Amino acid sequence: MQLRRRPQVMTVGGAIVAMALSLAACSSSSSSSPGTGSSGSSAPSSGSSSSSAALSGTLNGSGSSFQNTYQLAAIQGFKSVQSGITVNYNSVGSGTGRSNLAAGTVNFAGSDSPIPAKEASEFAGKTVLYFPVVIGPITLSYNLSGVSNLKLDPTVIAKIFQGEITKWNDPAIAADNPGVSLPGTAITTAVRSDSSGTTQNFSLFLQTAVPSVWKLGSSSTIKWPSSARAGAQNTGVASIIKSTSGAIGYVDYSTAKASGLSYASVKNSAGNFVAPSPTSASASAAGVNVKPDLTFAAAWGSGAQAYPITYQSWVLVYATQPNASDAAMLQAYLTYLLGDGQQLLSNLGYAPLPSNIDTMAKAQISKITG
Amino acid sequence: MAIAAEQPGVDLREPAGWRRTKNKIATVLMWVAFAAVLVPLGFVLYTVISKGAPIISGQFLTGSIPPNIMPANFGGMAPAIIGTLEITALAAVMAIPLGVLGAVYINEYGGNRVLARVIGFMADVMTGVPSIVMGLFIFTIWVLHFGYSGLAGAFALACLMLPLVIRSSYEMLRLVPDSLREASYALGATKARVTLTVVLPAAIAGIISGALLAVARASGETAPLLFTIFTVEATNSNVFSGATTALPNQIFANASQPYVGAQARGWGAALTLIAIAFIFMIAARVSTARFTRYSR
Amino acid sequence: MSAAVQADPADVAGSAHPLAQRRPLGDRVFGWLALAAGLLVLVILVLIAVTTSQQSTSWFSHEGLSGIFSTDWDPATDHFGAMAFVFGTAVTALVAIILAVPVSVALALLLTEVVPPRWARPIVYVVDLLAVVPSVVWGLWGILVFAPWVQHIYSSIASGLTGIPVLSFLFGGTNTSGAAFFTAGLILAFMITPIVTSLSREVIATVPSIDKEGAYALGATRWEMIRGAVWPHSQSGVVGSVLLGLGRAMGETIAAALVIGSSPAITSHLFSPGYSMPAVIANQFGESSGTFRAALVGMGVLLFAITIIVNLVARGFVERSARRAKGA
Repeated sequence: MQLRRRPQVMTVGGAIVAMALSLAACSSSSSSSPGTGSSGSSAPSSGSSSSSAALSGTLNGSGSSFQNTYQLAAIQGFKSVQSGITVNYNSVGSGTGRSNLAAGTVNFAGSDSPIPAKEASEFAGKTVLYFPVVIGPITLSYNLSGVSNLKLDPTVIAKIFQGEITKWNDPAIAADNPGVSLPGTAITTAVRSDSSGTTQNFSLFLQTAVPSVWKLGSSSTIKWPSSARAGAQNTGVASIIKSTSGAIGYVDYSTAKASGLSYASVKNSAGNFVAPSPTSASASAAGVNVKPDLTFAAAWGSGAQAYPITYQSWVLVYATQPNASDAAMLQAYLTYLLGDGQQLLSNLGYAPLPSNIDTMAKAQISKITG
Repeated sequence: MAIAAEQPGVDLREPAGWRRTKNKIATVLMWVAFAAVLVPLGFVLYTVISKGAPIISGQFLTGSIPPNIMPANFGGMAPAIIGTLEITALAAVMAIPLGVLGAVYINEYGGNRVLARVIGFMADVMTGVPSIVMGLFIFTIWVLHFGYSGLAGAFALACLMLPLVIRSSYEMLRLVPDSLREASYALGATKARVTLTVVLPAAIAGIISGALLAVARASGETAPLLFTIFTVEATNSNVFSGATTALPNQIFANASQPYVGAQARGWGAALTLIAIAFIFMIAARVSTARFTRYSR
Repeated sequence: MSAAVQADPADVAGSAHPLAQRRPLGDRVFGWLALAAGLLVLVILVLIAVTTSQQSTSWFSHEGLSGIFSTDWDPATDHFGAMAFVFGTAVTALVAIILAVPVSVALALLLTEVVPPRWARPIVYVVDLLAVVPSVVWGLWGILVFAPWVQHIYSSIASGLTGIPVLSFLFGGTNTSGAAFFTAGLILAFMITPIVTSLSREVIATVPSIDKEGAYALGATRWEMIRGAVWPHSQSGVVGSVLLGLGRAMGETIAAALVIGSSPAITSHLFSPGYSMPAVIANQFGESSGTFRAALVGMGVLLFAITIIVNLVARGFVERSARRAKGA
């Protein structure tokens, strides 16, 4: 009895151990081969990074979901520049990215807004450098069958998100859209559940454009009316809009376009209804006032063809890195993000940085020391 | 049909109409319950197979995870598949020996002692602890000090598997007749030797089956891994340190994406995960069927 | 539960018996290892309780115990009242139990009393297939396929029931995406059916066949036999398995997180979106810190405590039924 049983036990046990070992061997060999997924857009010819030595290591970043599409494309493109560096970016929202940076669990954070006052204490004693990397529009995406070219002005937007306008055929919306038959569907607002730079900039736009109407302030989390449906990151809001008839929410342009959502044209400070696009976003960011630490706000810019809800995103790093290797890797990645990476932007639905801002940012790279 | 009711007392033929109808209704309802179970099962399996099968390909099983925005035929889920297999294997290596040993204690050494009965009872209670609590526990006790890793995920899964393995092993050990034990003692064997060379081999089929079912359950768990592995997209060859990913986490992430490509990859990953769990379940049944000697 | 008393060489060792000898070291070490493995269960349970409570102290000190009952949940302004989530957990678990128990008990009866043993095995396999589907796949199917499909049904039912007092109280309300308390409860019902069925089957199988055959001998139909002979014996055991299913439904995280609607709300409308404790922990943990995180861990502690209590009571019922059946 025992003579027959034991070999079978050992066979099964040996099989499990062998499987585990072979998987470990498999995975360690496959991780060194380059990833097979291509990024879709052609990788730009790298002419700039000739002098950097081959580095190796891992960079971890997290934060803004607005930047996420760019980060992921840049990570792929960066592999052809520095194949030894693995960059990971986790899209968790600007607020969480900043707290991850404060906790030291990531090398860089993506944030759509500068560190707010209430978080400043977490960074006390350390210098944080701001590197602007993208500009882009925030769309008002909606799901309303039969309506394709919705026009909205800031007052109407403010009232919708404050819960004061509740049906699509409200006279205020009809006034912006003459000749369009609007159904009587109830409006469901889709908002962010996580601490978000998109929320911050969207509310900043409303606060700047219609301060007498907008009462909910400007912050990365807003106390929305209880009827609002919340989703995590831009993709969560897009999912809600996509699956809910009569929904409207604020989603960054690249996510909205890739999700196939319809978005509204918004009235700008010149009185024109402008649709979101890389061009109209650049028009809003042109001539914006940049502070010495490279923070600025691109919303509600002047210009006849400017899209008023335009915003920006930064990569935040500590000026003093724990070691020289981290500093060198960050410098290499930022050089890519501000250099060749910018050529990826318009295909992805972002607007490239205005050249003056780009130059100032590149000059700041050398301030990273380790 | 009953004969005229002039006959008093017990009717030895068919029961009266109303009683028979009630019986028939009850039987029909029971079969309806079975159909009620078949409907969602069929619905889910049909959906997963029809949406997931087109995505499965060599590239899907070996390609790395592309950005969510990519269309369906880009990239694959290899890092997640490897992560699931590695983390589950590590958890199994930790939980199965400990679980079997625990069952050995309760059944062989514990006897009537209060401690053994308490341990057995609490092991049963532990099977009901939500998996998310296990994840929070390991996050608190390990991740906060040592960071995210596949090992942390394996700890969480092992905590989940331990009571399941204890329970099923205990049931199997209990079935081994005492005559075997007593014969071995009569030959002068020590308790450890009896357990290791007589009792365990006799129960091994059922123990393996129970262990495989626990592994099947653990491979599909998401919540314990959410807080322990940090879900990145790259393959992490070192399961002991650094963030990694696993199939359930990727499915969870892709489920709330608006991009068609990400959803498609989610379906492919779901099909892969069901296949993995199914394989373990079949292996468990095969083990029971082939080796069972002592049946209830 | 305990093995029969056996001649334990350990008892003989150390006595004055001429054949006694000290147990060899290897034997004793093995015994200690087994004991340690067994104690591990208790150690883990205690550690879970202690460490997670520690992590949540800042929530309790911030809100006090009333935090559990407060309905004000607003992380932006540091308010962490958990009532909406406790409500959601309770409601979805109740819906799951109400839907799953009749089906599971009926299935258990089907398998033990109606179906010949040869056919029972394949049917059991099919029911166990429900258990093989991982929770996250239920959630994926739920949010991408089931919720949109069921949303139309909700709208029709809600509009059809407007004005009818009790029913519109429960089933009114608008739902635009299909994610709701009821959807989550329904999917949880699918998930706990295998467990309740298999446990009920075990309980029903312990009914002594003497009682069953006696009922048949008296001329009972099968249904009357079930009511008269099976049910009284297995009552408390079935209650125990129902409670175990309840515990499982309360702790089920991922499927609920995806289809419950992610909207903290206390409402009678089963068709409107809501939130539950495990769902909010899963969805919000990654982006939480400080008191927010402590609040989420605190809800985990609450969940742990509730499920432990439910499981203790449930196992008590099951054991009592088993003991009674043996003694009968």
